[in-house]
Amino acid sequence: MQSRITEIIAYRELLGNLVARDLKLRYKNSVLGFLWSLVNPLLLMVVFTIVFTIMIPDLRVPNFPVFVLCAVLPWNFFSTAILSSIHAISSNGHLIKKVYFPLEVLPLSTVLSNLVNFLLAFVVLLGMIVLFRIPLTGALLWLPLVIVAHLLFTGGVALFLSAMNVFYRDTGVIMEVLIQAWFFLTPVFYPLEILPHSALVWGMELPVRRLVYVLNPMASIIASYRAILYGSTLGSPPHAPALDFLARTLITAALCFLFGLWVFGRYRERFAEEV
Amino acid sequence: MVAMRFQNVSKRFVMSHDRAHSFQELMLRLFHRGEGSSKETLWALRDVSFEIRPGEAVAIIGRNGSGKSTCLKLMTRILTPTEGRVEAQGRVAGLLELGAGFHPELTGRDNIYLNGALMGLGRREIARRFDEIVAFAELERFVDAQIKFYSSGMTMRLGFSIAVCVSPDILLIDEVLAVGDQSFQEKCLRRIDEVQKSGVTIVFVSHALETVRALCDRAIWFDRGELQEDGPCDAVVDSYMASVHVHEQAPVG
Repeated sequence: MQSRITEIIAYRELLGNLVARDLKLRYKNSVLGFLWSLVNPLLLMVVFTIVFTIMIPDLRVPNFPVFVLCAVLPWNFFSTAILSSIHAISSNGHLIKKVYFPLEVLPLSTVLSNLVNFLLAFVVLLGMIVLFRIPLTGALLWLPLVIVAHLLFTGGVALFLSAMNVFYRDTGVIMEVLIQAWFFLTPVFYPLEILPHSALVWGMELPVRRLVYVLNPMASIIASYRAILYGSTLGSPPHAPALDFLARTLITAALCFLFGLWVFGRYRERFAEEV
Repeated sequence: MVAMRFQNVSKRFVMSHDRAHSFQELMLRLFHRGEGSSKETLWALRDVSFEIRPGEAVAIIGRNGSGKSTCLKLMTRILTPTEGRVEAQGRVAGLLELGAGFHPELTGRDNIYLNGALMGLGRREIARRFDEIVAFAELERFVDAQIKFYSSGMTMRLGFSIAVCVSPDILLIDEVLAVGDQSFQEKCLRRIDEVQKSGVTIVFVSHALETVRALCDRAIWFDRGELQEDGPCDAVVDSYMASVHVHEQAPVG
C-alpha cells in the first residue's frame, strides 16, 4: 500500500497533465470556455432564488437559496466525479495496454479535474453568501479540512468503482440509479432536522437521523459545509463544525480512500488483460 | 550488472469469453454452478529465463503468436508474470505502438508534455528535452497545431522522437520502423544506433531479419512461448530461418 502511494506521488506530473488535459478538453470549442464553471452555479442560483423566494416563498428555512446551494455544489462535485471516473479504466484500454504507469492516476485525475471546477463554482457561492448578507466568519478556516475529507471520500469511491467496472460493466449503469437514490438520502434539499429521530419499520425501532450520518459519509461532509458557510436553519450565523464530528468525518473519509486504494491495488494487475 | 532479468517467467492468459461480464450473468452462474465453467487458458510464455546486460542490443524473433509481444509487455510491467520474476534496472521506454498516449484534440506541445509525464518524467525534464524532440521529429512548424491535423507519418515521428529523447536506460522497439518514409526510417535506425552506442540497452522485436542483423549483436528466438535459442545474432537468425523453411515444406496438419 505504501509503495503504491509513493509511486502515485512519483507520477504527480502525469496527474497534473491529465487534469490539465481534462479541463482543456471540457471547454474546447466553447465560446465561454472555463467561464462555464462559473456560469453553471450562477444559473443554478438564479433558478433556486426564483423558485424559492417567488414561487414557493413560505419556507421555514431562511435564505433557502444559499442553504441549498452550499449543499448542491459539493453534491454535484461528488456525483459528477463518481459517474465520470467509473469509466476511467475501462475506457482507456488503448493506453493501459501500451504504456506502464500507476493506473490509480486515471480515476484520481478525473476526481481532481472535477475538484477544480468545484472550487471555481465556490467563488460564485461566496458571492451569493455576501449578497444574502450572511456573515463570512472565521469558521471559513475549517473549509480546507472539509474539502480534504470530501476529496478523500470521493477518491476512494472513484477508485473502488472504476476497478469494479473493469470486471462488471453494469457498475456504471447501476450507479446512475444509485446516485439518484443517494441524492435523496442525503440532506441536500432538506435540513437534517426535519428527519424524525426514530421511526418504526417492520416493528423495529430505527434511529433514522443517526443512521443517515453513520451510513452516509456524504451527509456529514455536507453538514460540515453547511455549518461553515450557512449556519443553522434556526438563523444562527455560520460556525465551526464540532471538532469530534469533523474528526470522525475525516477519519471515515480517509478509511474509505484507503479501502478504495486497496481494492484497486488488488485487481490492478489484471486490468491490462481485461479491458 | 544486469539491465533486465527474466527468471523462470511464465505467463498464462485466461480466455475470458466464458467469464461473467455482468451481475446478471454472475447471478445466473450461482444457480448453475459447475456447469460451463470450462476455462480456456493459453500459456503465452513458459519458463523463460534470460539476462540482458546494460548496453546490449538484443533482438527477439519468432513466428506470430510465439510470445514476443507478451515478453515486451512483461518488460514494461504492463503485464505481470503468472510465475517467475521480471526485474529491470532503470527507466524502460517502450516504442509499443507509437503515440498510444496522444490525444487528437491537444496540440503537439501538450501531447509532448502528456507523453513525457506518462513515461514518468517531470515537467522540467521534459522542458529540457523539448526542443530536441521537436527538432528530431521535424515538426517545428506544427508543434502548436492539434494532433488531429497531423498526418499519420507526423504522429509516428513525434511518438518515436519522444521515446528516444527521454533518455531511457532500456529502449523497447516493437515493429515500429515500418512507418515513415525511407529517409525517416534510416534516420530512426541511425538514431537507435547512436542511442545504443551511448550505452542504452535495446530490445528489438521485428520480422525484418536484415534490420535485426544490422542492429543487434544478440538474438533470442521464441517458439510457442518457449525459449528456443539464445545467442549471437547471426547464428540464431540463421537457425530460425532454417526452421521456417522446414515448416513451409512440411505438410500442414
